[in-house]
Amino acid sequence: MSLDAQRTYLWHRFTLREAVLLCFCATFIVLTRAGLRLHLHLPGHVMFFTMFFLLLARGCVPKLGSATLVGLITSLASVLLGMGVGGPMVLIKFLLPALVVEVAGFISPCFVTSMLACAAVGLLASTTRAAVSTGVEYLIGMEEEIILRKALIAGMLNGVWGALGCLAVPSIIRRLRLNGLIDQEADRGVAG
Amino acid sequence: MQKTPAKYAARRSLRSNDYGCQFVARDSVVHRMGAGWKLVFGVALSALAAGVRTPVTLLALVLVMLGYYLAARLTLFDLWRDVRLFIFQAIVVIPLYCLVHGAADGLWPGVRISTQIILFYIPGAIFLRTTRSAEVMKGLRRVIPYRLSFLVFVSVRFVPFFFREMSEISAAQRLRGARLLPRQQLDPRNWPDLFNCLILPLMVRALKTADEVASSAEARAFGRSRERTFFDAATLAPSESPASSREGQGWGWRKTRAGVDAVPKRQHTATGKPAIH
Repeated sequence: MSLDAQRTYLWHRFTLREAVLLCFCATFIVLTRAGLRLHLHLPGHVMFFTMFFLLLARGCVPKLGSATLVGLITSLASVLLGMGVGGPMVLIKFLLPALVVEVAGFISPCFVTSMLACAAVGLLASTTRAAVSTGVEYLIGMEEEIILRKALIAGMLNGVWGALGCLAVPSIIRRLRLNGLIDQEADRGVAG
Repeated sequence: MQKTPAKYAARRSLRSNDYGCQFVARDSVVHRMGAGWKLVFGVALSALAAGVRTPVTLLALVLVMLGYYLAARLTLFDLWRDVRLFIFQAIVVIPLYCLVHGAADGLWPGVRISTQIILFYIPGAIFLRTTRSAEVMKGLRRVIPYRLSFLVFVSVRFVPFFFREMSEISAAQRLRGARLLPRQQLDPRNWPDLFNCLILPLMVRALKTADEVASSAEARAFGRSRERTFFDAATLAPSESPASSREGQGWGWRKTRAGVDAVPKRQHTATGKPAIH
């Protein structure tokens, strides 16, 4: 039987190898959330590794939908492992930042090679996470002014951690490419 | 056996993965409920939590939630672990209300909103505490396509594998002088060690493992058809072949949406217990 490793497997876009690699990036996000908890009691520190692996996934598989797939798998895996406190809100918690990464990848496919771009995307994507609880609070009847202030505080903290976590992505991507582990052609407009 | 000294207990707690909403195996009415019913009941309770406004109804809902939680034979310490994040959130929300409306007028709305947020999430916590992952997986299979569910299950399946890999890489790198201990990572100057000595080798390992897993699955023709064909020992079909006997190596056939699969016939061993080949 001949192995067709390049056959598309998911969404007419990803090969099985790419899908499994993205799946492992989701595993790392789950693992770092659970296994490397330092109990810092600093709000938002979970975004440090979440954003790092989201952008790393985008860098390793530079196709549209890669970050979304990682976000989707992470949220479903979190629910399966009992880490999804918010129930269905967990889906949005990981999908929102992933969608921001997708938009950034669509606008500039090679943004993962720039520290500044990665930090900016990390900051923006992390702040969207604060919007997740905003919907629930609005439904419950919290005042808009309070919602905004709370979202601002949470967004800032999430954003700082997310930006810090993304600073190492270009270095890792560069090393993986230099050693031939991921495609060198990744930056040349491979956006879909 | 020597008792663990207090300082090591503190270090253990520093790296503890003690998080809320982990499944707890108990024998309770809630555990025996179907996952679907728990979801429906949980959604209804969460909707009530979003709509309640008066002190009396809020108190009644608090008692109902507490009763539901304790009916699952969960402890108050479990409850603390599940809701502590929202307690910290309440510490932010109540002062914000007092800041905007003044202490007298802002206290009740702040307390009400904080309590509602906690009550909104408790049914979800109870669901996770009382539902095994296998049941959740079974339910997920009905909802999401098998290609996606395969990736989710692979992700969960490889969590312990990569946890072991991470531990081994970390141990080996620490022997080489890398500063990877949790207390060393509190210093941002040691973060380059984390990325260069741990994350990078871990990614290399992940790339290699992804190649192997993909090749292994492809060799089994995984993903070639739209519907997945697989051997399901739980639903063995009786053999349709007249030549098959109970003692012989009979094969039955099970029709799937993708075609027909051969499944081994259920046999019995010398002890009389069924043996599945």
